[in-house]
Formats: sequence, structure tokens, C-alpha cells
Amino acid sequence: MTAFVLALVVGALFALGTFLLLRRDLIRVVWGLAIVGQAANVYLLAMGGLTEGDFETVPILAGHGVDVPATADPLVQALVLTAIVISFGMTAFALVLSYRVYEEHDTLDVSELGDRE
Amino acid sequence: MPVGTPSDLVIAPMLIVLVTAVLTLVLGRRPRARVGVSLVGGAGYVLAVTAIAWYVVLAPDAPGIATYQVADLPAPFGITLVADGLSAFMLTMVAAIGITSLVFSARTLPELDRRSYYFPLFHFLLLGVTGAFLTGDLFNLFVWFEVMLMASYIFVAYYGGAQHTRAAFWYVALNLLASAVFLLGVGGLYATTGTLNMADLARRLAEPAAYGIDPGPVVGLLALLLSVFAIKAGLVPFQFWIPTAYRSAPPQVTAVLAGASKKVGIYAILRLSFTIFAGAQVGVDLAVPGVGTVVAGTSPLAFVGAALFVMAAASILVGGIGAVGRSSLEGILAYSSIGQVGFIAVPVAIAATTTAPELRQLAIVAALVYALNHTLAKGLLFLSVGAVRSATGTSQLADLGGLAGRSPPLAIAFFVGSLALVGIPPLSGFFGKLLVFDAAARAGTMPVLVLLVGGSVLTIAYTTRTWNRSFWGTRTAAVSRATVDPVKIGVLLALTGTILAVGIGFEPVYEFADAAAAAALDVEGYVEAVDPADPDAAGGEQM
Repeated sequence: MTAFVLALVVGALFALGTFLLLRRDLIRVVWGLAIVGQAANVYLLAMGGLTEGDFETVPILAGHGVDVPATADPLVQALVLTAIVISFGMTAFALVLSYRVYEEHDTLDVSELGDRE
Repeated sequence: MPVGTPSDLVIAPMLIVLVTAVLTLVLGRRPRARVGVSLVGGAGYVLAVTAIAWYVVLAPDAPGIATYQVADLPAPFGITLVADGLSAFMLTMVAAIGITSLVFSARTLPELDRRSYYFPLFHFLLLGVTGAFLTGDLFNLFVWFEVMLMASYIFVAYYGGAQHTRAAFWYVALNLLASAVFLLGVGGLYATTGTLNMADLARRLAEPAAYGIDPGPVVGLLALLLSVFAIKAGLVPFQFWIPTAYRSAPPQVTAVLAGASKKVGIYAILRLSFTIFAGAQVGVDLAVPGVGTVVAGTSPLAFVGAALFVMAAASILVGGIGAVGRSSLEGILAYSSIGQVGFIAVPVAIAATTTAPELRQLAIVAALVYALNHTLAKGLLFLSVGAVRSATGTSQLADLGGLAGRSPPLAIAFFVGSLALVGIPPLSGFFGKLLVFDAAARAGTMPVLVLLVGGSVLTIAYTTRTWNRSFWGTRTAAVSRATVDPVKIGVLLALTGTILAVGIGFEPVYEFADAAAAAALDVEGYVEAVDPADPDAAGGEQM
């Protein structure tokens, strides 16, 4: 069940991110990038898989109850933490850049930003 | 572990460049000290890399590979740094262009730039590149990619004009997407194999049954990773960011972007394809409706080879034809970079396709020698453009002409750089081209040879055009006023000398490249050095 929900969430996030990336408004593009990044993070978490927990793997629960819920892989959580920090920084940078683009061009419409040349 | 062993050497270049970056950051208010520290750090980096190359690879009793387990956490649980022949070769290349560009920058940057974040960023860029070459962990590779990219984002936006900001935005957007794709590949590999340590990956993929894994998804995941690395390397169809980004960044930084950052993509393709995935036994059978089977093999390399052939061929054509029509020096060189990476990718594709071990090694040597030549020659050309731009205030072909008479040493540097790109003996480019043609001829693929000849003709066309339009002809007003700084000339001539020296004394360079290629292909050696086999390890201990 959890796996099914996770798959749905990842799919929905990627769809939303892609949709926003294709907008003409630069801020929406930044939003799209942030959401695609988060979708990748959720996917990464899901890739660790869920395993039956026991008191060996979750020692903090020992002595605090009788059953241990299914647990996620701690390694992917460490990876995602790193990825979140990076994407947080990059989103901030992209927002600053888009403000700078606005200052230089007086518009945030991608189609009016002019030729790449 | 006693200090001073090859093992400690492995982390030395990273530490030196990190300390330098932090120090230059702190010294923001004292530009003179900042430039001094920057140069000392650069020299230390070159020393550390030379020490790695000598003690790990080239010395008579060298072990050939050295590892450093960060924080003494054993592989595959900790992050392992690995310096083998391939890493050492790449690092040597980066050190050569890095120090040249650094001296060039130290001398030529205006006061304002010395107070800005130029030098710290430069060292962080080097740090990212160095980390990417040394790491033995796939997720750590992602992190170093990001370090390198963050510095390069700011360099692309550095001049802060309208077109620079725009170029930086596209560059950032593209690479954020690429990072997400990289994470998809990393996550998929972790789910498939249960590890991200490169040596452990290679070991598990070679004996999937012993570890209870199904290597089926590996080809698809490799395709994801390959596209990310192709973006970094600038292979068609992922080349579109290169012209805008290279035009926007300061020319001396572009020399490093083209010479070092680009090679990170090539290195990652080599390392992943040949060291990690070569041993995986996965049936590849790609069929196109109406055509039939186009790629078939028993290893993911069959897929890598086919994909790279297509990308390389397109790169050579797009880069060559694009360069012929550009109107500015940076534009020509940027398109030329796309084409030249195609020349590097062709032998990599040959190595991936062939099953003969000798040809595979020869093809990788060809790719490495060509990459070295591209780093030196393109670095020299971009630095020359930097000199031209600061002397004349322009890099548009229309405003240039007669530079050869105005500054013969600058003309010599540009001329030698162009000839090295074309591949004229006795320059380094000759051996690069020779080896690439040799590998293609031995592989016996006629279309590839035709393509290479076509690409070379295009190279001659655009270098000749550039030379005629900017260095010959009548002297324009901008050129008549120009005076070129003698220190810049000195740096350019030093790099010119290096290109000549590599070409004339090619024997040791070839041996180094050969050792690098052997290291790239020596999967067992790599795995053993990183994570010595436990007799009872097989059985799949999951964390």
C-alpha cells in the first residue's frame, strides 16, 4: 500500500514539475525545477524500500512498546538529506538569478527574453 | 596507517585546494595576499598531483593504485577515494590547465575582480573536478558534480550583463534537471544492487547470482547516467548549453571549463562503463520496428558503444559545421569543443563495442591522448582569446584583423593551438588524431573513418577561417590600439611549449596514457584495492 502511494506521489510530482517547467513564466520554471528535484528525492527514498522492522534495526523502540512498524532504509535517508540541501541551495540561487533576469530584461516571460545568441 | 604513504597522497590535492579556497575566501579584503595564497595553493595542487602520478602510477615500484578510506570507515560503508592510473592521468591534465589559467588570472584580473569571489570560486571549481576524479562512490560523485557546477554557475553569470544572466539561468535550469536524473540513476542502482560503492557495484554486477540481485534494470539506469555525463561533456544532443555558457564565462575560466569540467563527463563515462558495468552480464537486444535488431550483446557496453557512436558522430558534425559559421572567437571555440568531444567519444565507443582486449585498450589510450591534447590546445586558445579580448576589447571576427603583425608571440600561441587542434606533427594533437584513426582503422568501420576525415576537414576549415580573419588581413582600429601584457604572453608561450613538448617527447605520455587505460580496464585490481575480498563475503550481506 505504501509502495503504491509512493509511486503515485512520485509520478504526480514529476508530472507537475514537468508541466511547470514548460511554462513561460520564469518563476514557474524555477518552481518546476524545485518540484522535479523533490520528486527525485521521494523516488530515492522509495528506492531504499520498506522492510519489516525489529528491535535489532530500531533499537530506540526497545522497551517502548511491543511491535515495530515497517522501517525505511536509513542509507537513502542520508543521501536524500544531502540532496535536499543541495537542491535547496540551488533553488535559492535560481530564484536570485530569475530576479536578476527581471532586473536586466524587465520581464519574466521566457519567450520575450530574446535570442540565445 | 603512517603519514606519507601513497594512501595519504590520494586526499592531498583535495585538502590543498579546499584549504586554499577557504583561505582566499577569508582574505577578501586583502587582494594582494589573496592572489599570493591562490598561487601558492595552485602550486601545491600541482605538486600533490605530480606526487600521485609518480608514486602511484609512474615510479618503477609504483603500486598502480592507492586508496584512502575517509574517516577510516572501511569500504563499502564509508566513502573511498581511489587514485589509479586513469584518475592520475585526468588530474595531471587538470593541474596543467588549472595552474596556467590561475597564473593568467592572477596577473590579468582587474582590482575589482581580485576583491570579488573569483579566486575562491576558482578553487572550488578545481575541488569539484578533483573530487569527481578521485571518488570511488557513486553518490559522492554526484556531490562533487554539484560542487563543480555551483562554481561554474557563478562563473557563467560572473560579468552580470543581460546575456550572462540569461545564459546562467539556462545553464542552471539544465543542470538542475540533470542532477535530478542523476539521482534517479543512483537510486535505481541502489535498489538494484544494494550498494553505491563503485568497487562493490562492479563486484556485485559481475556475480549477480551470488548476491541475489537481478541486473536487468542496469542497462536502463546506465542510459540515464550516460545522458547526465553526456550533458557534462557536451555531446550532441546535449550540447546546446555550451555556446552560451562558454561565451559568457570569463575566457580564462572557460579554458578550465572546456579543459577540466568537460573531461569529468568523459571520465565518468569511462569509469562507469569500463570499470563498473563491463563485467555485468545483461543481454542487450534493442530492436527498431521495421529495421530489426540494431544493438545486441551480452554486456551493457554494447549499448554504451552504440549510443556513443551516434552521439559522437552528431557532435563532430554539429560542432564542426557550427564552428565554421560563428562570428566571434569564443563562439568558434565553443562549437569546436563540441566537435572535439565527439573525437574523444569515437574511440570510447570503439572500445565499448569491440571485444578484443588489445583494441579496447588502444582505443581508450586514443581517447585519453586526444582528451589531453584537447585540454592543452583548447586551453591555450581560450587563454589567447582572453588576451585578445583584454587587449582589443572585442572578440568579434568583424572587428579583428592583422593581429599577427601587432603581437607576433600571441599569434604564435594561437597558431600552435590551432595546429594542435588540427593535428599537425610534431604537436600533441598529431598523436591524438593518429591514435584515434588507428583505433578506427583496426575496428574496421569504414563509416567512422569517413566521419573522422570529414570532421578533420571541418576543423581545418574553421581554424583557417579564424586565423585568416583575426590574425591576417588589414589591421583594424581595435587591433592598432592593442598592447598585450607580457606576462600573459609568457603564460601562453609556456603552454605552447608544453604542447610542443608533449608532441616531441611523446613516449612517456603514451606510457602514462597506456597505464591509465590499463587501470580503467582492470576491474579486479580496482575492486581488490578498494575492498579486499572476504573469503566468505559472497552471500549478499545487506546493510
